Amino acid sequence: MLTARIEKLKDFFFDKGHHGVRRTPESLGLDTLCKKYAAEGIPAQLRAALLFEAMTSAEKPVIFDGEQIVATRTITRVPSYFTEEEWAALKAHHYLHENGMLSNISPNFSDAIAEGLEQRKKRFTERMLTADEEGKLFLESAVRSIGALQDLIGKYEVCAWEKGDVVLAETLGRIRFDGASNFREALQLLRFIHFGLWESGCYHNTLGRFDQYMWPYYKADIDSGRLTKEEAYELLLSFFLACNKDSDLYPGMQQGDNGQSLVLGGRDASGKMLFNELSSLCLDASYDLNLIDPKINLRVDRNTPLEVYKQGARLTKRGLGFPQYDNDDVVVPGLERLGYAPEDANDYVVAACWEFIIPGKAMDIVNIGALSFAGLVSRSVDELGSFENFEDYYAHIDGMIKDECRRIAAGYKNLYIAPAPLYSVMMDGTLERARDITLGAKYNNFGIHGTGIATAVDSLAAIRKYVFEEKSLSVKELQAALDANFEGYDALWKKLRFEAPKMGNDDDGTDELAARLLASFDEGLSGLRNERGGIFRAGTGTAMYYIFHAVHLKATPDGRKAGEVIPANYSPSMYTRHKGPVSVIKSFSKGDLGRSINGGPLTIELDDTLFRNEENLEKLAMLIRSYVQLGGHQLQLNTLNKETLLDAKAHPEKHRNLIVRVWGWSGYFVELDECYQNHIIDRIKFTM
Amino acid sequence: MASGTIFSIEEFAINDGPGIRTTVFLKGCPLRCAWCHNPEGLLPAPQVFHGIYGDRITGRIVEAGDLAAELLRNRDFFAMNGGGVTFTGGEPTMQPRFLCEVLDRLEGVHKAVETSGWCAPGVYADVLERVDLVLQDIKLASPEAHRRWTGQDNSPILRNLETLKRSGKPFVIRIPLIPGVNDSLSEMESVAALLRGALALRRVELLRYHKTAGAKYPRVDLHYDPGFDREASPAVHTEVFSDFETIIL
Repeated sequence: MLTARIEKLKDFFFDKGHHGVRRTPESLGLDTLCKKYAAEGIPAQLRAALLFEAMTSAEKPVIFDGEQIVATRTITRVPSYFTEEEWAALKAHHYLHENGMLSNISPNFSDAIAEGLEQRKKRFTERMLTADEEGKLFLESAVRSIGALQDLIGKYEVCAWEKGDVVLAETLGRIRFDGASNFREALQLLRFIHFGLWESGCYHNTLGRFDQYMWPYYKADIDSGRLTKEEAYELLLSFFLACNKDSDLYPGMQQGDNGQSLVLGGRDASGKMLFNELSSLCLDASYDLNLIDPKINLRVDRNTPLEVYKQGARLTKRGLGFPQYDNDDVVVPGLERLGYAPEDANDYVVAACWEFIIPGKAMDIVNIGALSFAGLVSRSVDELGSFENFEDYYAHIDGMIKDECRRIAAGYKNLYIAPAPLYSVMMDGTLERARDITLGAKYNNFGIHGTGIATAVDSLAAIRKYVFEEKSLSVKELQAALDANFEGYDALWKKLRFEAPKMGNDDDGTDELAARLLASFDEGLSGLRNERGGIFRAGTGTAMYYIFHAVHLKATPDGRKAGEVIPANYSPSMYTRHKGPVSVIKSFSKGDLGRSINGGPLTIELDDTLFRNEENLEKLAMLIRSYVQLGGHQLQLNTLNKETLLDAKAHPEKHRNLIVRVWGWSGYFVELDECYQNHIIDRIKFTM
Repeated sequence: MASGTIFSIEEFAINDGPGIRTTVFLKGCPLRCAWCHNPEGLLPAPQVFHGIYGDRITGRIVEAGDLAAELLRNRDFFAMNGGGVTFTGGEPTMQPRFLCEVLDRLEGVHKAVETSGWCAPGVYADVLERVDLVLQDIKLASPEAHRRWTGQDNSPILRNLETLKRSGKPFVIRIPLIPGVNDSLSEMESVAALLRGALALRRVELLRYHKTAGAKYPRVDLHYDPGFDREASPAVHTEVFSDFETIIL
């Protein structure tokens, strides 16, 4: 349950009460700093620190009534430290990932919170004595960034004294310099570091294994009686709430796509289960707050007790679209197979959406590109006439996938990421290397999404059955029907769409095609190296590509018409009724998903009216556990109500709070572009 | 081998017994309950169903062995999750040979049947001995009201209910709550009286009337005119079942 304090604050933030303190960078003269830097010829590495200093110094400390965990953005946008001309020049010579800033990795919060800012600043300063010139520049920018963050905390400390909040002021006074000594300090320090990452222009800033690195502080406070469980819970709620305050200012494809993922549970290298009392409290806090951040991931395995799944299922029922379930039994060995050290693999977290990443140690770019399974199969139909049998045809598809893998891999050359000294301070090895994290880390792998797998499988299954086995459909007729977008081919369209075999019906022959496609993809990427010496990781996620890739995709042999979307992530086709969730779960756990370790969840939509009582919640928990026990890698469940969604589309003003899962993140339905709203409504056409 | 007609197989049927279950809907029913929400289950034979993508046939004829094989694919899945298979309808006892043969083939699977109990005593006993759990519907205790609202006398049901109570087989009583039909205190007390001495009764489930019950009638060329106020909410008298665990679904 929410406390009165939190309830009040939540309403205040939801009514945008804090928007009044916001100013634009233009009004503060921050937007023109890049021109000054350019004119003075200041190197990018240092600019990053200078801009961060300017930003934090322009920040106005604000503490709202009742706030226990503070730090609120008062500047609407982080301006760039490059001019537009400089960006254009960078683009001309480099590959820039998304907007060119650092995104979508995971810091080592654990060590940073324990060590404290002053000690870390000292170590980075000392390292300057032995570093080369480039190193000195990096270390200076790192040290200045830490100092700027400390000064910001200092301003908040003064503000807290003026407000008469002694406990807060003392907390701030300590964490400005020292590592955390209790739960409250740990949360507050985490809040400022996380705030600083956003403020420095980095984005998709994840939160990692929160229940693990916060556990020692929580436990010590509870054991010693310094905090009651209720007090600790309220602090936790305060922290979670704080993650939602500024999220409308964070860059993303759509509002809500901000990457504030938080991972619970899992195991250590010895196999010991790490789900603890704090993990439980986090699930409760997310349930009680009913807000889109942080986005919860729950690490589970075949030995996870049903009770844990039940707690997750309770949150699932809330309809926020999370938790997302990640299966350690598949993910950990899958990461090891790709070359991640066992202790690192066991410590995996989830990047912005579903991509598995190692906190503190990985400069992986997990969403660098995408391969469209549906697009490749669609193109292959042109040459279908030249094959005698299905196996020859599949060999051709296999070759196309591998060609596409090589083409994609060759496309990312001369990568440039704008320096991120504050983020670097929170990553392992940057001190030793005296180099910015954007230049590389222990792991420098690139992740490639694989989109439209069900569309591809269903198309191949239809071709195999009707063209090669039954020979009831000629290649020419199929090609003509697809070219005509099935106009005038109504009977064929119905047969392909509704009667043909589909992935998701626990039909081994069809499901085996998916396993083959994933194997081809993984084989296609294996052995390829990126320019940083890293590898390429195959995945089953789509991100926004389920919209992008579908736009130019003509009608497909599964009976999908041109313009109709493809399913998000690793999910069954949306245009036919499947046998049900049990068959879907069995179908989608058959392949060797350890080979799709860039991630991308099976997504199942359930009608919210199904889960009215405890007993049904337990059945939902069993369903989730079954997917894990059968070897699925990742699962995400949505509980939706179609009437509510349609009403929300028509009357957005009545549904400001309605939260839905979009692809790897949850957002407010009424804030989404219409194409995403429609996709969500289409997804539940065939819910149970 | 016996064959039968079914009109749906539903996976993850969460209100039809313990654990994760698949429910099989057998086509054909001797009753004509005014509130029935599965009108495509009334007639025994396959028939046209006007779907959103045009007409299709609802109801398929299957061999008992084929149906059992299909269900057995999930035997391990059911076992992992304390579940099994539930047969409902329509009225599953309308196809006794088919039903019994399928049940016989489901070795190692937890089996339940949901029935109105309107069937011959011998059929009821045959089914009873083959299942692990009975979901026994009771719609009305009063014979006259039963005739009016379901089109049939309830004496076969009451006789089979006694058989069930004597058998020691675990069972659940399910009562649809229909506004103005059976939701009065006196009617519920009469139903409760029928349950006296039912030692193996696991619990009583009260099923709220669905306002959307009439949705599928035009799909099978029927007109929904239940003869009671379908907008009203039924009264809920859980207190009369205080001897048993009671749940509202």
